[in-house]
Amino acid sequence: MAAQVTTNQSIINDDSGSLTTDSEFQTNVNSKKRLSSSSNILPTSSILSPTGLTSLISFIVLTCAYISGFMSRLFSVIRFESIIHEFDPWFNYRSTAYMTENGFYNFLNWFDELAWYPLGRIVGGTIYPGLMVTSGVIHWFLHMINIPIHIREICVFLAPFFSGLTALATYLLTKELWSRRAGLFAAAFIAIAPGYSSRSVAGSYDNEGIAIFALMFTYFLWIRSVKTGSVFWSCCTALSYFYMVSAWGGYVFIINLIPVHVFILLVLRRYSLRLYVSYSIFYILGLILSMQIPFVGFQPVRTSEHMLAAGVFALLQAYAFIDYLYTKLPRADDLKQLFFGLMIFIGLSVFAVVVILTYAGYIAPWSGRFYSLWDTNYAKIHIPIIASVSEHQPTTWTSFFFDLHLLICLFPVGAWFCIKELNDERVFIVLYAVFASYFAGVMIRLMLTLTPCVCVLAAIALSKTLDYYADTETSDMSTSPVVPSNDNDENENETEKNNRNLYDKAGKPKPIPGRRGPTNTNQDTDDDTSIVSSNIKTVVVICIAMMLMLLAVHCTWVTSNAYSSPSIVLASYNNDGSRYIIDDFREAYYWLRKNTPERARVMSWWDYGYQIAGMGNRTVLVDNNTWNNSHIALVGKAMSSNESEAYKIMTMLDVDYVLVIFGGMIGYSGDDINKFLWMVRIAEGEHPKDIREQDYFTENGEFRVDRSGSPILLNCLMYKLCYYRFGELQTDFRSPPGFDRTRHVEIGNKNFDLQHVEEAYTTEHWIVRIYKVKKLANRLQAKNALRQVQRRKSIYSTSKKTSGQARKQGVILNKPQVKKGTKVLTRKT
Amino acid sequence: MENLYRLPFTVVQCPNLKLKKPSWVRKPSNTTVLFGLLVSYFLVTAGVIYDIIVEPPSVGSTTDEYGHYKPVAFMAWRINGQYIMEGLAAAFMFTLGGLGFILLDQTNKPNMPRLNRVLMIICSFIFILVAYCATKIFIRIKMPSYLT
Repeated sequence: MAAQVTTNQSIINDDSGSLTTDSEFQTNVNSKKRLSSSSNILPTSSILSPTGLTSLISFIVLTCAYISGFMSRLFSVIRFESIIHEFDPWFNYRSTAYMTENGFYNFLNWFDELAWYPLGRIVGGTIYPGLMVTSGVIHWFLHMINIPIHIREICVFLAPFFSGLTALATYLLTKELWSRRAGLFAAAFIAIAPGYSSRSVAGSYDNEGIAIFALMFTYFLWIRSVKTGSVFWSCCTALSYFYMVSAWGGYVFIINLIPVHVFILLVLRRYSLRLYVSYSIFYILGLILSMQIPFVGFQPVRTSEHMLAAGVFALLQAYAFIDYLYTKLPRADDLKQLFFGLMIFIGLSVFAVVVILTYAGYIAPWSGRFYSLWDTNYAKIHIPIIASVSEHQPTTWTSFFFDLHLLICLFPVGAWFCIKELNDERVFIVLYAVFASYFAGVMIRLMLTLTPCVCVLAAIALSKTLDYYADTETSDMSTSPVVPSNDNDENENETEKNNRNLYDKAGKPKPIPGRRGPTNTNQDTDDDTSIVSSNIKTVVVICIAMMLMLLAVHCTWVTSNAYSSPSIVLASYNNDGSRYIIDDFREAYYWLRKNTPERARVMSWWDYGYQIAGMGNRTVLVDNNTWNNSHIALVGKAMSSNESEAYKIMTMLDVDYVLVIFGGMIGYSGDDINKFLWMVRIAEGEHPKDIREQDYFTENGEFRVDRSGSPILLNCLMYKLCYYRFGELQTDFRSPPGFDRTRHVEIGNKNFDLQHVEEAYTTEHWIVRIYKVKKLANRLQAKNALRQVQRRKSIYSTSKKTSGQARKQGVILNKPQVKKGTKVLTRKT
Repeated sequence: MENLYRLPFTVVQCPNLKLKKPSWVRKPSNTTVLFGLLVSYFLVTAGVIYDIIVEPPSVGSTTDEYGHYKPVAFMAWRINGQYIMEGLAAAFMFTLGGLGFILLDQTNKPNMPRLNRVLMIICSFIFILVAYCATKIFIRIKMPSYLT
């Protein structure tokens, strides 16, 4: 590898020299000063020299960031127990457990018959296996060194473990982009930022947990490879990209952002051989590697999402060729316009080819999920199943504030600093910021991809501000370069630590200006450095430190209160502060596991599919892998039509049990009645003749379950299953019987019987209600069944009939029976 | 080879053409970029996309105990819901805070009159503090249980 690299670098070094920017230059100067200072002092031990001290401090800070990032995600484990959260993690956990039991190849070939009855699901070809493989490898490694840990513990703690690694990757990225000090800030921010910890608390065993690490690490390697132009780093980028592809569908973000970066660099005339080398290698290797994942398959060459990368690849080759011609041709300067035109022509033709291929059907158009990012109303109109997911809702300002707090103010500042001092790699972070903030605006879920970028840019902004303000002895700089750079770093890291460790004294930088009196006198003479008096600087630093402290408080609060609920175990607090655990979900799933036949089919809304399969171990009709819209629509239709109509669908689908989630008893708002309109909408999408959304509203267009609610709603299966015998129950003395606490109304239809289903189980707080679907009833007797049939009477029948009962032989208990035809062998002897 | 190039020009007369970059294609100035950045950022954080998709009312309203209609600026207790005006107000505060930090950075510029510098520092301080306090108040209205 080294030999290849040198050939490139000999060429590359020519232009890379001119591209070092101001800030890099500054950091170089700083480091040089440190070096010179160390030579001045002649230190006795290497650790106490400024360079040794900075690396020691950054090591400590990074360790602290790792530990605090890990610790702040453990709230749910401490409050509840080591348990897998929510919905998707249950499937991931189930498949990981399957993989550790049966091996990787059996896992890839696994046909899961518990899901999507009667279709089933080929698991190996429909998932990103990176998550399972990662925890499987950890499990294997720990068992190899004789630590017998259960796979569940690994699954629970995987996300916090990886968030620590994300902090390190972010540090590396920011270090490449700006400076080491900014990197430390960024690592501290990402370790505690709620936008990231929302998806990576202990127990939320999901793809995103490891994918954000892969994302940041890929970006770091990409920046490194663009900077150096070395084949080695671009190969690393491709490998890291491969890991990302294996982990999360969000890899599409990388494979579009990097080409955009390359394209913008071309437009800005920042083309260099380094760029050519790194992108060409990354694209080819990354393409081949990503196609090794069964779920991705041929998508990278067949779908529109990946076409940008291919187009930019072609364009870059053309650009490189023309650039080469430019150096070879005589009088090339005269042909500048021609080359320019040629480039535009090539760009347009590449674009046209992609468009034509899309129309011809060789390339699949944008899938709905991605298309809805551009045309924001698309999902709402055409794909209700995407729009129904709460994390696909557009973002409000509160989410921005909750997930980012102070960083939200610093984010544009950092972007502005990067634009002001632009170079190749900062173009990248600016583009990342632009795209990620737009996407985050469209979907709450994509706050996750925005958060690392915000942390990086906020760290840059803060670091640049503090570079100036925390450095209270700039005026001393000219006389003694030893102390300032050192102190500067210390102050910075002081605030760093404040950021996470609340008990650290915020005002530590204070005594320094007092001690060094001469700064004030020097002020007037030095135009350049001592612009702002050191007192003001100190005030600024203290203010910033306070804000960072509040940021840490906010982050911890949000993580612990908003994002650390397992959502399958609910907790409520009494007035005296004591806690009450509501464990209905597991109760119900355990009941299913123990009391139903092993092959029983359970129908529920798709949200609970993974949980029923994971905890209840029963076959479900639809689950959270919403690949088959018509099947889901059929379940939605069954839920939203009346009982006899629903019974037809249920017998057709071979359903044994129906499970609904009902929160009206205790006021749990995430129940099926609140989700019901989405069921209607999805059903309407497939069966517009039978189900109409309008029928479920009152005349005023409201969705109500009380007496004024529409009769179709009050008689549909979902309503009946939720409110069966609820009218007999008085939860509170002040409220009438049948008072729904979630919707705060008295229900409209109280006394009804169920005809085709019967109640099988209802949990303690009525959250989960399970009904058994009755088998088809006996046919009603026909009216003419009693008609006397004229038959010829036989003689035997009459005689038997009269004397039959009396003559029947009795049976004697324990009478020895003689079996004919078998000989008892013992007699022979 | 040379003749091959000339071949078309035996038939076609080469027009005396001078291509020029159109005058409006120019590298935008720093202030324009900053302005664009802040405006777009303002719009995104204001949840304009949410406003477009969900179409909430600009300001909500309730009836108090006397039956009077009272406007409500904040959709309380709902993180995933907002009125248009509250989003804009909060985003304004975010942007103001950002502006404060940018001003704070601008104060280190050399050769600036002393008065300007002092004013800028004071301005940036006020901006940042106002932004910070205002967002804090907003979130308290929105989520009364915040930080308790």
